[in-house]
Amino acid sequence: MESFFVRYRNLVVLLAVLLAQIIGLAVQVRRIGEGRSTLDPGDGPGVRLIRLWANALVSPAEQAIHNSKLGASGLWQNYIDLRHVREQNQDLQKTIDRLRLEQASLIEDARQGQRLEALTGFQEKYIYKTLAAQVFGSSGSDQSHVFYIDKGASDGLDRDMAVITPDGIVGKVRDVFPHSAQVLAINDPTSGAGVILETTRIRGILRGNTAGEPEIVGILADNRIQAGEKVLTAGGDQIFPRGLQVGKVERVGRDPLRDGFIIITVEAAAHLDRLDEVLVVTSTEPRFAPVDQQEIATSEALKGPEAAAIHDQQIKDQQKAAAVMAEHLPGLIDPNLPADQQPLHDSSNPNPVTNPPKALHPDRFTPGAADGSTGTDAAPQPAPITTPDNKHPGKISSTFKPDAKPSASAAAPATGKAVHPSAAPRRNP
Amino acid sequence: MAVLSAGFRRDLEIRRYPSLVYGLVPLVALVLQAWLPRILGRFAWFDLPLVVTVYFALGRRSPIQGTLMGASMGLFEDALSHHAIGVNGIAKTVAGFLAASVGVRIDVENFTVRLLLIFLLSLVASVTYAFVTRFLLGMELEWSWLTELFKAFGNSAIAILTFPLLDRLQIRD
Repeated sequence: MESFFVRYRNLVVLLAVLLAQIIGLAVQVRRIGEGRSTLDPGDGPGVRLIRLWANALVSPAEQAIHNSKLGASGLWQNYIDLRHVREQNQDLQKTIDRLRLEQASLIEDARQGQRLEALTGFQEKYIYKTLAAQVFGSSGSDQSHVFYIDKGASDGLDRDMAVITPDGIVGKVRDVFPHSAQVLAINDPTSGAGVILETTRIRGILRGNTAGEPEIVGILADNRIQAGEKVLTAGGDQIFPRGLQVGKVERVGRDPLRDGFIIITVEAAAHLDRLDEVLVVTSTEPRFAPVDQQEIATSEALKGPEAAAIHDQQIKDQQKAAAVMAEHLPGLIDPNLPADQQPLHDSSNPNPVTNPPKALHPDRFTPGAADGSTGTDAAPQPAPITTPDNKHPGKISSTFKPDAKPSASAAAPATGKAVHPSAAPRRNP
Repeated sequence: MAVLSAGFRRDLEIRRYPSLVYGLVPLVALVLQAWLPRILGRFAWFDLPLVVTVYFALGRRSPIQGTLMGASMGLFEDALSHHAIGVNGIAKTVAGFLAASVGVRIDVENFTVRLLLIFLLSLVASVTYAFVTRFLLGMELEWSWLTELFKAFGNSAIAILTFPLLDRLQIRD
């Protein structure tokens, strides 16, 4: 027996090593269907230990190389290659001015939205705190779309934090080490994010395909979806805040696995293969971050009057357009005329108001027969009409029944504007 | 055919290196393999840990050492990804064992033989990786023969540059 092991020791060692690794793989992989398996999302203690060792061995050297490269390129870019900087600075200043004006114009809408959200009990969460991190390494495999950043548990990072760039979302933190973290990119097949198409408002799940392209799955075929439509985060996955840029629709194809479903390939807004610096969203709150509030205040102070003037001008333009439209449309009630001379009662009116024809066999459902009387002589009575209380919008203040000859005073609420009875809000009897 | 004869095999020397080389060269290969794809993007058609595994397996001519070297390099590569630990490990274990077994039988001092070996073993490692992922684990895998061929050519090109450099590090009597 001893001679067997001595003679075939090479093969025995090979088989032992292979067997140990196969058993290790069997522990990590979970079966999800006929012939299909998936990797357990959470690493076991043994696997985590191996990853920790590998990271501790490789990451410091990688960070050192990366920092050396940054230092060299920084020296070149910050001290030597400074041509056209003045022109760029002027262009950027103009862009800042334009963006400040846009921010000042939009802030009222945002505040109104927040007030409405508070009324409906819905609280949208905004990015409150981010942490900038440098990307210093990758997995080294084209089958694994993960990368490493130079911030870790010691900087307050945790699993499942969103990682973004100013261009769009990038991924989420998958594993955290003491001084670094592993980020799973959105183009990896094991990733997932809730997204929504901007125009059609169709929701789906974003994940990567085996070719490393982000795609949206779980969508029923819809011919409204066109290439070029923007894709945003939907906010339902508890990782990415709502409304962040994801990319745009590149192409739409049939889902080969499910009839009636389509797969949308997305061109990511962030340059996933050229990432240098990313932002990790460490905190989301239902309010703007202090930095954003300061920016908004600055924009309002600098561009507030200008934005208000633009807003007033827009309202005036709308009113003017409405007046022009009103001149071209026929009216049934003229507030300047007495009640008996209203165009409503003009026999020459080409579209007179007509009562519905009498029922041939009236019953208790016939208008005007709500009390149960089924007399054929009874004239049909319109349903009671209510007028809104002007002091308390949304509260019904009074109820009245219109006469056969509606008077202008009855039809007009306290605002003095003439309203056709049919235009008034109704309450179900 | 002298290079393939059994008599010649006995005369083949076993290369020896300083201990530091055994530690540093694999580490540098792992670090560069993780760092360079960020610079080269999808054109990173090489596998430095495999090149180093094959080099040491051929030089040491010990299948056991080749097996252990390949397994440890592969496991570290797997640990840096988010995939199951062991897929690359198995692929490189097989490559290391085969390289050392071939190194015992033929003269690997010949540069052309070395290049041919690294090319073939790259393809063997790729096929093993695909086999383990698809059939053993039942997971999806994007597979392109063209990419794997480019990777094998890339490994050969790197071997042309690095093997002579590494040869200089060996201990000579």
